[in-house]
Amino acid sequence: MLQASEYNIVEFLDWFRRVKDFAKVEERKTLVKTIKASLLYAIAWNLFILSFAIAIASLWFFEGVRSLLVFLVIFLFAPYLTLYLLSLCTFLLNSVQRPIERIIINKAKEKLQNHKALKIGIAGSFGKTTMKEIIKTVLEGSKNVAATPDNKNTPLGIARFVESLDGDEEILIFEMGEYYEGDIKKLCEIISPDIGVITGVNEAHLDKFKNIERTAKTIFELADFLSKKEGTKVYVNKESRSASESAAHIKNENKPFPKVIYYGHGGIEEGGGNWKVEGAETNLSGTSFILKNNKEEGVVVRSKLLGLHQIGPLAVASHIAQSLGIKLEKIELGLKNTKPFKHRMEPREDAGGVLVIDDSYNGNPDGVKVAIEFLKEIKDKRRFFITPGLVEMGRKTEEVHREIGKELANTGIEKVVLIRNSVTPFIEAGLKENNFKGEVIWFESSLECFSSLPKRTINNDLLLYQNDWPDNYS
Amino acid sequence: MEHEVSIITAHNPIIDSLLATGKYNVVPIYIGKDGSWYSDPAMNDINFFRNDLEEKLKKLKKLQLDLNNGLQIMIPGSLGSKKINIDIVFPAMHGTYGEDGSLMGLLRMANVPFVGCDLFASAVAMDKVLTKQILKAEGVPVVSDVWFTKEDWESKREGYLHKIKNLRYPLFIKPVHLGSSIGITKINPLADQEKNLINAIEVALHYDEKVLVEEGVENLVEVTLPIMGNDEPILASIERPLNKTEFFDFQDKYLSGSKKVGGVNNNYSEIPANIEPSLAEKVKELGEKTYKILGCSGIARVDFLIDSVLNQVFVNEVNTLPGSIYQHNWKKSGVSNIDLVERLIKFAEGRFENQKNTTYSFNSEILNQYKSSKNQ
Repeated sequence: MLQASEYNIVEFLDWFRRVKDFAKVEERKTLVKTIKASLLYAIAWNLFILSFAIAIASLWFFEGVRSLLVFLVIFLFAPYLTLYLLSLCTFLLNSVQRPIERIIINKAKEKLQNHKALKIGIAGSFGKTTMKEIIKTVLEGSKNVAATPDNKNTPLGIARFVESLDGDEEILIFEMGEYYEGDIKKLCEIISPDIGVITGVNEAHLDKFKNIERTAKTIFELADFLSKKEGTKVYVNKESRSASESAAHIKNENKPFPKVIYYGHGGIEEGGGNWKVEGAETNLSGTSFILKNNKEEGVVVRSKLLGLHQIGPLAVASHIAQSLGIKLEKIELGLKNTKPFKHRMEPREDAGGVLVIDDSYNGNPDGVKVAIEFLKEIKDKRRFFITPGLVEMGRKTEEVHREIGKELANTGIEKVVLIRNSVTPFIEAGLKENNFKGEVIWFESSLECFSSLPKRTINNDLLLYQNDWPDNYS
Repeated sequence: MEHEVSIITAHNPIIDSLLATGKYNVVPIYIGKDGSWYSDPAMNDINFFRNDLEEKLKKLKKLQLDLNNGLQIMIPGSLGSKKINIDIVFPAMHGTYGEDGSLMGLLRMANVPFVGCDLFASAVAMDKVLTKQILKAEGVPVVSDVWFTKEDWESKREGYLHKIKNLRYPLFIKPVHLGSSIGITKINPLADQEKNLINAIEVALHYDEKVLVEEGVENLVEVTLPIMGNDEPILASIERPLNKTEFFDFQDKYLSGSKKVGGVNNNYSEIPANIEPSLAEKVKELGEKTYKILGCSGIARVDFLIDSVLNQVFVNEVNTLPGSIYQHNWKKSGVSNIDLVERLIKFAEGRFENQKNTTYSFNSEILNQYKSSKNQ
């Protein structure tokens, strides 16, 4: 669990206070045996045994009743003692590790400064990985492209990625993670991006940021950095209210750079002219539309990605590709190659004809909204929406979940499947307030739900699995 | 191999579905390769059978059965044996004893309801020759064949080879009792066809005492139709296995394509089969007729051979315990996994009730008369 919270001691202790039944932990995420984890694991056991040894030793050191008292106190508090001593050890280990990491990061920074590639940085509360993969797929047919792997988006993760580069790449794409204020600024200083993409700002990680303004400020550290560099531009998701408000501020400052370009369902809006979306359609086999720009006939977009929310990122990728001088046919071919990513609106069909959309990596309110919007497009199927709710929503928890309930009710979803926990009752409340006509099905745990649902469904059912809670949020 | 397939059929399709209903106390009973009977709650999880099975079994005590007034299993323990009363039995045993009526005979004697076909249908369906003879007598089309026992073959080989000459190649040589396509060979009309034929017969005789030599169907389309119910059979969808080899073999039936979803034959099936509506109608009609003629109840699967040019449909064989109870096909036909096991239980109970109302014993004076006649 210490590992899951990125070795952050305060969060770890917090979790310890929250969880009562430890037998239930480690259901889905098992300990990854890194050197650090093994070391801490060994230290923990040693500390545990040591505290018992001290307890027994105290029987000799003190006399009479007092010895027994000291023994009992140490004996009973051994787990707590271990815990706090373990935290101390983590702190000590961290203070050794941090300088080493700094060296690795500095090396990466140096390598990037001498790297000729065009650097694209992607920041935002949601949709970063999807954006990264789409841009990469569209460009890689014509250019030598490298992008950060999986969701490695911390300074160290990015440094490791930079280490692996050959040096002759033409385009580098970076996913930038924000966990605390100043994170994006730090990453920008390492990467020095030329193009920024801000996918949106919402309540994700609100537990840490406390308010959405602070989240926006952190994410827009990307735009701040770009303003200090010539020839830069930033794409901003127009549909994310907080993001477009912050972008308006930059425009008002009237700095020459970065050039602000909005994107969304409607297409691309830049100072000079717009790219308009026409004939947008989405269904279980993909999404298609035409991007009309002023000059040419327009880009025909046919992607296997599901949902109209993919229009924005697809348009951004087309726009970047065109600005790099890539030919229309090549762009269209690249767009055709875009397909669903693992656990993100990823469809599959089982032998019994049940359609499953795996959206289990989607854990943010905007993602939920687009998933429900996608279900709206699906006719003639019995639709199941399966969710354990969202984590890290801070004081917005109730509001966000009631809103989900409302959207599900308004879309007329047939079956809403909820996993019992602290947040799903708010979804149920939202459903009830909005006269939900379908059925609510409860499961005590995700595991029970995953094993039971395939046994209850038939041909032509559509199951959308949204979000999957890691154990440190129980 | 049918041992392993039985374990698969027992778990995901049956035990997992029964447990998902939350209504049943499922008592797993496992019969080892040596014929020993065991029961342990841990066996409800298929992982029990994955690693070190032998070691795990050694730690268990073999169970005993009590067939008096229903079925009870007794698991010996240190504090005397634990008795569990079984209300209904869900057989999942493929092949010999499980599918040939033996197990059904035992359960009938114990007077306990059980899922699936009864003794008579199971015993007939297990013998491909008997099945064809009965169907043929009732006017159901089957392909021409020659059959013989090991002894017949050894004493009158030339006579059978002569008879086989009247069949049209390609030929299929099959052991009569085995399922899962084990020991089946196809003989193409080649120069050394007779040598191949004799080899194939020897192979089949290695697996069985009785062998069937069948005419192959030209322009072959194979389809299968799962059916459930007692007096009013319910048909699933016609399924066409799209396997790579020319006919069903064990590999296709149980191994390939099972990785993704964990069923039988998943990726290599077309459900419903894309065949002409008139053929589909014929398949349904013959399927239902076959089910009734053999006296099937609970569940079964009828396999067909179709000549897609001449539009002829032949019944090939009947399987009284379809692998994984064909839950994927039922699901595609609108019957969820849970729905399927619950319906099968209802059919079992229905049949049991009917049998109760049939009188099997008569009070007779024969014994007394016999006694008195002796005393005279």
